[in-house]
Amino acid sequence: MTDRVHKDMGALAATLDYDAELMIRVKGGDEVSFGLLLDKHRSSVIHFLYRMVQDQAVAEELAQEAFLRVYRSRSTYEPTAKFTTWLFRIATHLALNALRDSKNQRTEARLDADSGEEPARQVSDVRPSVEQAMVREARLQEIREAVARLPEKQRAAVLMHKYEEMEYAQIAKVLNCSESAVKSLLFRAYETLRARLAHMA
Amino acid sequence: MKCPSNAWEEADLLAFSENKLEAPQAARLSEHLQSCPVCRTVVEQQRAVWKALDSWEAPAITADFDRRLYGAMEHATGRWNGWLEPLRLLLARQGLPIAAATCLIVVAGVVSLRPSDSTIAPSAAAARVENLQPEQVEHALDDVQMLGDFTRAARSETGEL
Repeated sequence: MTDRVHKDMGALAATLDYDAELMIRVKGGDEVSFGLLLDKHRSSVIHFLYRMVQDQAVAEELAQEAFLRVYRSRSTYEPTAKFTTWLFRIATHLALNALRDSKNQRTEARLDADSGEEPARQVSDVRPSVEQAMVREARLQEIREAVARLPEKQRAAVLMHKYEEMEYAQIAKVLNCSESAVKSLLFRAYETLRARLAHMA
Repeated sequence: MKCPSNAWEEADLLAFSENKLEAPQAARLSEHLQSCPVCRTVVEQQRAVWKALDSWEAPAITADFDRRLYGAMEHATGRWNGWLEPLRLLLARQGLPIAAATCLIVVAGVVSLRPSDSTIAPSAAAARVENLQPEQVEHALDDVQMLGDFTRAARSETGEL
């Protein structure tokens, strides 16, 4: 009977996605499959978390915790949704908690630190390449700041929509809200970003 | 900003600005943009937003990320958990039968170790004896004596008959 259940779960996982199938194998004790999942999703999870918290060291710590939770939960894993939905739900949860824990502190410290680099712009005889690099850095700083100033859920929705190319329905599942709520979050976020970044065109 | 004609939803404008709208719809929206400055502005500004976001690259991941992760996994599961891993997997797969068997063993153990009534009774009696007063003992001996006399009398009467 157990075999039949495993076969059924495997079939369900296969219809959902290959990742879920790998996760079923991890559940069965296959460590190699965990490695495959890590290889496949490492970058996207870390980059998502980096853009959420805007601190690479913290992003990697949170990503470690996210993958650790996936591994720890392997025995109770059920392929009821796409694997990436589950993975990003964990990652988003961790990011939102981290942001709430260090509300403002990290952002302010980082922005202060970054603004400390600004005096370099006062150097008079800069070479064009240096000047270009400075302009580029200033633009990037403006983008980072525009995203950082978005409310946390809007930020998460934008990052999943833009960089992970997730559908509205999947973002809704990750954020545990309705699809219409996600659309509302995204439209408000993009409206704000248009107001802040449109001049960069 | 909303399209004054309400002809297109924001989701369509977003998809169009990212070239993700289906070709027939995209053609119709292109036509609409010729005559709708509101939608045209949204699309132009959104394209600027996409371009800006595209230019934001995340830093490279540190080389020892996997090593740290596997180290944390090993630490989290620990030596004991490593030894218990086969049991955990077994429980995950056949938890119910194992739980039922464990319950049976525990119940059997409790029943077999429970002291029987016969062992309790003497100790209770002993406790009662310890509390007996000398008068009570005398009365009891008198009762026994009386019963003996009664028995003997009854036998003699029977013998006479």
